[in-house]
Amino acid sequence: MTAAIRIQDLTKSYKDVTAVDRLNLEIREGELFSLLGVNGAGKTTTIKMLSTLVKPTSGEAFIYDWSLSKDADRIKGILDVSMQETAIARKLTVEENIEFYARLSGQTREETEASKKEIYGTFGLDQVRRKQAAKLSGGWQRKLSIALALVSHPKILFLDEPTLGLDVLARRELWKTIEALKGKMTILLTTHYMEEAEALSDRIGIMKDGRLLFTGPKEELFDSTGKESVEDAFIEIVSGGGRHA
Amino acid sequence: MRKSIARIGILTGRNVREILRDPLSLIFTLGLPLALEILFYLIFHELTSQFEMRYLAPGIVVFAQSFLALFVGLLIATDRASSFLTRLYVSQARSFEFIFSYALSILPLILVQSVLFFLVGGIVDTSLFGTGMLLAVPLSLVTSLFFIGTGLLLGTLCNEKSIGGVSSIIISGQSVLSGMWFPVEGIGQGMQTFMKALPFRSATLLIQNAVNGFGDAIRDFLVPLLIVLGYTVAVFVLAVLLFRSRMRSK
Repeated sequence: MTAAIRIQDLTKSYKDVTAVDRLNLEIREGELFSLLGVNGAGKTTTIKMLSTLVKPTSGEAFIYDWSLSKDADRIKGILDVSMQETAIARKLTVEENIEFYARLSGQTREETEASKKEIYGTFGLDQVRRKQAAKLSGGWQRKLSIALALVSHPKILFLDEPTLGLDVLARRELWKTIEALKGKMTILLTTHYMEEAEALSDRIGIMKDGRLLFTGPKEELFDSTGKESVEDAFIEIVSGGGRHA
Repeated sequence: MRKSIARIGILTGRNVREILRDPLSLIFTLGLPLALEILFYLIFHELTSQFEMRYLAPGIVVFAQSFLALFVGLLIATDRASSFLTRLYVSQARSFEFIFSYALSILPLILVQSVLFFLVGGIVDTSLFGTGMLLAVPLSLVTSLFFIGTGLLLGTLCNEKSIGGVSSIIISGQSVLSGMWFPVEGIGQGMQTFMKALPFRSATLLIQNAVNGFGDAIRDFLVPLLIVLGYTVAVFVLAVLLFRSRMRSK
């Protein structure tokens, strides 16, 4: 199967801290890969480097065959990202937000209309389409923020803690939406919710202090730790600190 | 190039909507200066020439532009705080496209300001109408670039909470150092030189002189214009460099 993302010794260092330390990872096309880790593990920095927002200190990554260091403009054309914080134009309506992103990604008027219909269908946003984004509930704002990352029809989608701050019902609803995206695009998801990674992922990666300690499907995670839940296995690996894969 | 222009248009459209849908921006950039223009004229114009409409209206036009620094800055700072800009950085838009779009989104409001304040000024005192006013309106677009550039710079440097306080320095600077509210002749020579070296006084003089006639082309037009343009270029260059650096360090 084609590798959508190939990461080779990717490192990001700040003054006194190495946020990501010689990361090596391959994510297959169409796969949903979850990165787990406690705060400061390097998950968000990894996503920021892969989405061209942060320049790596050393190492390289390839998005399909394009190099992160040399082909950033081309890479930007096939990926999108939903950051931890809600990122929407607050005084625009839901419909205007979708139109804005569609047009910015170079879509024609006809393509923009098609995108709107698709997004409404996937996220159920048509019921609030004329509402100003700032006046939506937190759950709807989050949904819109994630929906906007899909407007450009990316081949690769980065979801940085997509369900952070959502109540349990909204989170489950968003899971269904993410589940429906599986196979249509390659998704790299970071989360603090272990059950989220367990429910959604094809494979899981566990990071600690910038280093990748484990990669594999959840069954392999259970086998290698002798635990029966992702949460227990995660604690075992992170507190043990050993390299499991 | 065509893609860049299209993206600037799309970004500008969004910025215009954001600004126009904020009632505070309309109150501060249109309502408040207009009220001040009428009130100060009615109360003071017979006491001192400072408040005759031929001086007051141009002063109000430039004073109102100083509020735009606040609103451009606030829009950028809010976009940065909400991760909105971070998301846009992943798009293929470039830093200069963002800067242009923020600047362009303000220009229609500036045109409305100038026309409105001169028109109302002319209705109150019909002697204001004339060729000078026709020259002052496009010149006010030039002076506005300094305030737009300052807004871009402050929005890139400050966060959502600090931008209000920092922008108020610019508004106060325009209010006090432009000499529009008091006769400059009464203050010390050193202070007068200091005021002339800053863009606030020059911007006001430029528009006032456009309305009342350029007696000396160099002293009344060229010198204040060059001072304003100098500061404008400086703040724009700084804003673009800082914006690019912030964009990259994201």
